[in-house]
Amino acid sequence: MRTPFPILLTSLALGLLWFATAIAAEPPRALIPERHRVLFQEHCVKCHGAEKQKGKFRIDQLPFTIADIETAEKWQKVLNAMNSGEMPPEDEKQPAKAAKADFLDDLAHAMVAARRSLSDQNGATTMRRLNRREYRNTIRELLGVELNVMDLPSDTSTSGFDTVGANLFMSANQFEQYLALGRQALDDAFSIQARTGSSLKVRYETERSLGYFTKRTAEFEDGRERFTRWTTAVKAAANRPENRETVAAFTKGVQNDALLRASWQKITGAPAPEDFGFNLGNGPAGAATPQVILSVAQMAKRLRAVEATGAAPQLPYLKKYLALPGLETGAYLTSLADGPAWNSFFGIEAHQGWPSGDYLIRCRTAATRHATGERRFLELVANVRRGEVISTHEVSATLENPQVIEIPIKLIKGGDPLQRNFMLRERGGDTRKRFDDAIKANGVGPEFALWVDWIEIERVSAREVPPGMKALTGVILDAKASPPAQADVRAAIERFTVAAFRDRTTPASYIDRLLQLYETRLKAGDKHEAALKQTLAVVLASPPFLYLAEPIGKTSRKSLTGNELASRLSYFLWGSPPDAALRELGSTGELLRPEVLQAQTTRLLDDPRSAGFTEPFTQQWLGLDRLDFFQFNRRLFPQFDAATELSARQEMHETIAHVVRQNTPLSDLLKADYVVIDSVLADYYGLEGVTGDEFRKVPVPKDSPRGGLIGMAAIHAMGGNGEYTSPVERGVWVLRKLVNDPPPPAPANVPAIGRLAGQVLDTRQRILAHQDQPQCASCHRKIDPVGFGLENFNAVGQWRTEDTYQVMLGDRPVNGKRKTWTIDPSGALYKGPEFKDYFELRDIIATKSTPFARGFSAALIEYALGRPCGFSDEPLIDEMLKRAGGKKLATREFIHALIDSTAFQTK
Amino acid sequence: MTTHLSRRHFLRSTTAAIALPALDSLGFRRFAAAAPASAPPKRMVFLAFGWGVTAETWYPDAKEPGAGYKLPVGLQPLARHKKDFSIVQGLTNKFSNDGHFGSTFWLTGANRYAKQGQNFANSISADQVAAAQLGQDTRFTSLQLNGGQEVGGEGHGPGLSLAWNANGKPIGGFNDPVETFHRLFSGDRVPLEQQKTLLAERRSVLDTVLDSARDLQRGLSKTDTDKLDEYFEGIRDIEIRLNKDEKWLGVPRTKAPLAEPKPGLAGLEEIRLHYDLLTAALQTDSTRVVTYRLPVNTLLKSLSITINGHDMSHYHLHQGTEKRDASQARDLALSETLAGLFDKLKAVKEADGTRLFDHTTVAFGSNIRTEHDLNNCPTLIAGGGSGLKLGHNIVAPKDTPLCNAWLSMLHGSGVNAERHGDSTGVLKEIMA
Repeated sequence: MRTPFPILLTSLALGLLWFATAIAAEPPRALIPERHRVLFQEHCVKCHGAEKQKGKFRIDQLPFTIADIETAEKWQKVLNAMNSGEMPPEDEKQPAKAAKADFLDDLAHAMVAARRSLSDQNGATTMRRLNRREYRNTIRELLGVELNVMDLPSDTSTSGFDTVGANLFMSANQFEQYLALGRQALDDAFSIQARTGSSLKVRYETERSLGYFTKRTAEFEDGRERFTRWTTAVKAAANRPENRETVAAFTKGVQNDALLRASWQKITGAPAPEDFGFNLGNGPAGAATPQVILSVAQMAKRLRAVEATGAAPQLPYLKKYLALPGLETGAYLTSLADGPAWNSFFGIEAHQGWPSGDYLIRCRTAATRHATGERRFLELVANVRRGEVISTHEVSATLENPQVIEIPIKLIKGGDPLQRNFMLRERGGDTRKRFDDAIKANGVGPEFALWVDWIEIERVSAREVPPGMKALTGVILDAKASPPAQADVRAAIERFTVAAFRDRTTPASYIDRLLQLYETRLKAGDKHEAALKQTLAVVLASPPFLYLAEPIGKTSRKSLTGNELASRLSYFLWGSPPDAALRELGSTGELLRPEVLQAQTTRLLDDPRSAGFTEPFTQQWLGLDRLDFFQFNRRLFPQFDAATELSARQEMHETIAHVVRQNTPLSDLLKADYVVIDSVLADYYGLEGVTGDEFRKVPVPKDSPRGGLIGMAAIHAMGGNGEYTSPVERGVWVLRKLVNDPPPPAPANVPAIGRLAGQVLDTRQRILAHQDQPQCASCHRKIDPVGFGLENFNAVGQWRTEDTYQVMLGDRPVNGKRKTWTIDPSGALYKGPEFKDYFELRDIIATKSTPFARGFSAALIEYALGRPCGFSDEPLIDEMLKRAGGKKLATREFIHALIDSTAFQTK
Repeated sequence: MTTHLSRRHFLRSTTAAIALPALDSLGFRRFAAAAPASAPPKRMVFLAFGWGVTAETWYPDAKEPGAGYKLPVGLQPLARHKKDFSIVQGLTNKFSNDGHFGSTFWLTGANRYAKQGQNFANSISADQVAAAQLGQDTRFTSLQLNGGQEVGGEGHGPGLSLAWNANGKPIGGFNDPVETFHRLFSGDRVPLEQQKTLLAERRSVLDTVLDSARDLQRGLSKTDTDKLDEYFEGIRDIEIRLNKDEKWLGVPRTKAPLAEPKPGLAGLEEIRLHYDLLTAALQTDSTRVVTYRLPVNTLLKSLSITINGHDMSHYHLHQGTEKRDASQARDLALSETLAGLFDKLKAVKEADGTRLFDHTTVAFGSNIRTEHDLNNCPTLIAGGGSGLKLGHNIVAPKDTPLCNAWLSMLHGSGVNAERHGDSTGVLKEIMA
C-alpha cells in the first residue's frame, strides 16, 4: 500500500511543521534553523548588534521565527544584502562558503514559507470576475458566438493561475470593452439566427487550375522554341567570315552561345531578339520595337529575362505534371513557389459575412507512391500572411480510392480578416528549396506526392438554439414587421437576464431600466432589433454576468447553494457556465447530494468541454507559456518544423487529457511505458506503426527515453532557447513541477558572472561556475545536477550523445574556438542518490510520486478555488492524497476529493 | 432628474478616491483653456520599458558625475539633447524583489507583501498623484498608453498600464494607437443635441449596471465587497469622464496635429507613433499627464531580432555575443526614438512662444536594471517642466528611493504631495 502522507519535503522551513499537527489552530510559522545563529554572531552582530547599529539596522534581536510582515521585511533585507554580496562588507572576514550557502538556502526557503503564510487567505475565496477565456466560453455557451477577446487583458500576467480572484481586476476601459464586445456578440448571434436553415458552404475544385497549366506550358514551349531559333540565327551570323575577328575578340576562343547572344549587337547581321517575339522595350511582345534607348544595365537585365525564357527550367516539370493521371477531376500540389496559380497551395476563404462558430474544412485527397516521410502530410494554414499552421494530416489513400479529410475549425467574430483565409499545402511549405534541389539532381524537379480533388468549408449548424437566444423567442422579428408589444419585450429581456446571470434573479427596477434604455434607443431612431441588441449588451456588462458571486449574508461562512455549486463545478471542469441539466440539478438542490455531485463530476469530465479545464490548467500548471518566449532555429533543427512543434505542444495536453479521461495513475506522468502521440510525433520519436492524425496511446520499448512528461520533446524544448539547452531551466522545472521542491525565486541583484564570455568551455564547466559563489551555490547545487542529467536531449528534445560549443563573434564563428565533447549525464541529487545516466535519473524521479501528487493537488486547489493554496490547505492536500492513494493515485480521485471537500462546497 | 440625483448621491456616498471637480471652476477653465494662457501649464510624461538595459554600455561612468560626463554608447543617439536631460544613478525601489516586474512598482514604490492575507498589493502611482491636480482642467484627466503585445512576456509585470489608482488598483490603458487617436481627436461631427442625448444615454447605462451591482452587493463578504468596489470604481471613472464630456460639450475638439495613423504598426514604428500621439495630446492640451508602457518583443522583432526579451536580458550567461548585441540594439532604438520625442517636444511652441519641452517633464526608465537586478534602476529625466537640474550625470547615494525622484518631479511641477511611496524626501542632487 502507498503511504498517504508526504515523505519528502526537503525544505526545513516547511519540514518542521505541519504533518502531525495538520489541523493546528495556530498559524504556521516560517523558521530559520537555530544553528545559523553562529554565523550571525561571528559576522553580523559586531556592526548590527547592541553596541553598533550601522545603517540603523540591528540583527541580534531579529526573531528566527517569521510571523509578521515587519520581521519578513527585515529578513528580506538581510537576504538581499547577502545575495548582492554587499554584506558582510568586502574588507571584513567572510563566512565559509558552505556555511553561507547553507544559510542562504534556509533563509530563502523560510522567506518563501513566510510569504506564503502571511498571504494565506485561510480558506476564503475571493469573488472573481470571469477571466478572459471564461468570458469567451460563457459568451459561446450563451449565444453560440465565437468572439475575439484578444483585446481584453489576458489575466495570466500575475504569478499563479488565471482563476485567482484577487488578480482579476476591473477598470473603466474594460467595462467599455465588455459593452462593445457584448454588442458584437449579439450582432453575430442575431445573424446566426437569421441564417438558420440556410447552408453556408463554398468549395474549390482544384482542376480549375489545369487551364492555366496548359496555357503556361504552351507559352514556355513557344518561348523556348523562339529562343532556339534566335540562337541559331545569331550563331549563323557569328560564323560569317566578316564577323570572325569581332567575335574572336569577345569570345577569346571560348565557344559559348550565351556570350554570342549577349553581344548580338556587335555581330553584323545578327537579328534582334525582338524579331523573334521577345520584347526588350516597353511594347507588347512581338510588336515592332519602339525606339527606346536602353542603358547597358537595362539591356543586360532584359537579356537575362530572354535567357530565362530560353532556359525555361520549369518546362520539364510542367510537362511531367501534365502527364499525370487524375487531372480532369483534381490537381497535385506542386513545388513551384510562384504563387497560388501554380498549386503550391490550395486556398479556401470563408466569407467575411459568415457568422462565427463551428465550421468544417473538408478535402478529398490521395497520395502518390512518392508520398513518403514528411511528404505524406497535408498542412492546414490560417492567415496567409502570418502563416499559422493549425493542423497536419496524414494522407494514405490512393488515387483510385481517395479519402476525405475533415478538419473542424472555429471562425471568430472580429479580429484579423485574414484569419478567414485558409490554405492547404504540403507539410513545411518550403517548396522553393525542394524544387531547386531536385532540379540540380535530376533536371526535372521533385516528384508529385499529394493529389487534391477539392477543398471546401461549411458551417456546422448548432444542434440547439443557445439559451440566450432561446430567451428571445418571439421578439426577434423580420425587419419589416412592426416592433413587438412592450410587455413582450420586457418579458424577453427578463428571460435573457436569467439566462445570462446563470439563474440569478434580478430586481424589477433593473429590468425597468433596461426597458427604458430600449425605448430611448427606439425614440432615437433605432430599429427594434438594434435597440434590443444595444439593451442586451448592457446585460452582458453587468456584474452578475461578469462575476461569480456567492453572497454569504450575515454569516461568516456558509455552504454553497445548489446554483452556486453548479457554477463552481462547471467553471472548474469546463471553464464555462453550467448547461441546462446541471442548472436544473442546481436549482432543485439535487446537486447537493454527494452521489449526484459525484455523477455530475464524472459526466462533466467525460464531456469534450472538459478540454476547457485540462488545457488551461496544463498550460499554467506546467508553465508552458515559455514555449512562446522564443523561436526555434529551424536551420539547426529542420526536423522540428511547424508540424512537429504543433504536435509536440499537443502531446502535453493530450497526455494530461488521457490520464484524466482514462483515470490512470497520476504517476504515469513521471514515467510510463506508453506515450500519447500522433503520426507526426511517431516519426519524430522513431516509433513504428502509427498512422493517422488522432492522438492515441502507443507503447514504447523498454529502452526508450520517452514516456512520462520528462520524455517529451516539448518539455525539453521549453528547457532551452530554441538553439541551446538550458540545464538550469530544466533543473528548476523538474524541482518545481515533478518533485515539488521548488527553489526560491531567482534573487535580485546577484553579481553577474561575466568572465566566461568568449571562453571555450563545455556546458558543465560553464554552469558549474555558478557554484563558485555561495549565494549562487545555495540553489544551483540542487538545480544543476538534474539539468546535467537531461543533457542527452537537445534544444528540440531529440536524443544526442555529443554536444558542441563554438565561440561566435557576432554571427561569425571564431576560428579555433570550438569544442566537441561526449555528454556526461551522470551526477547525484543534492544530498541524495547518485545516477549514472538519464534513465537512472528518471527512475529516481519516478519514486517521487507522493511529492509530485502534492504539487498537483496544490495546483488543483489554486485553480479550482481561485485563491493561492496556503498552509491552511495542507489538511485538504493530505485528504486528496489519502483518497487517491487508496486507488493507486487514480487521477480523477484527486478531482473528486477536492470537489467533495468543505473548501470546495463552502464560501 | 431623479436618476441624476441618485447617481451624484452615489458618487458622494462611496469612499470617493477622486474628488469630483468643482463644477464652477471647470466652467471657467473650459474657456480659459481655449484662450491663450498667461503661463503654459505643466505636463508630465512617464515612459517605462521591461527587461532593463545593457548596464555596461548604458550608464555613464559613476566616477564622472556632473555636466562634464562622457555619453555612453547606449545613450549616443541622445547626444544632441545632452544638455536637456539628466541620468540619475543609485535609485531603487527598496521593496521590489520580483525580477520580472519592470513596471508594476516603478511609479509606486509599493511593497507587494504589505497586506496580510494577500499576496499582491500596490499603491497609487506618481502619474496619478500628478493627474489628480494637473488633470482637472483638461478633457482627459490622464492618458495611459500601452505598446506591444502581452504574448511572450514584456517584462512589465502585473498591471493594465503604468498607472495605479489611489486604492492600488490597476488603471486600464489604450493598446491601439488608432483608437487612441479617435478618442483624442474625433467625435465633433455629431451634432450637439445628439451628443447630449448620447451622454444622457450613457449615463442611464451606468445607472442600470449600478442598479444590478448594488443588488449583487447585498450579502457579499467583506473581501468580495472590496472586489466589487473595483467595478464601482470603474463606473465612477466613466462618470467623471462623462461629467467632463458634459462640461466640454460644444467646445470644439482641437484639430488633430497629425493624420489618422495607419493600423497595425508594431515595434519601432509603434513607438514613434505613440510619441507623436502623446505629443499631440499635450500640444492640444487634451491631457497633461501621459504614461506609456514601451514594447520590447515587438521592438526586437522590428529590428529583425528573433531573441525574446527575457532571454536577451540574461546576456551575461550566454554563449556568444548575439544576446548582448540584441540588448544593445534595443538600447539604441529606445534612445533614438526618445531623442525623436525630444525633437518633437522642442519643435512645438506654446501660446507664449516658449517650447512645449520647457513645460514638460519626461521620466524614462524601468524598475529592472538588467537581468534580475532591481537596484540602480535606469532613470533618465528630461524637460524643463519641473525646473530640475538637466545635463548632468547625477550619482545619488546607493539605494536612494526612486520615489524621491518622483517626489522631486511632483514638487517641481507644482503638485503638492508630502511624500510618495517610500520617499524619504526630494532628491536633492537633482534640485536645481
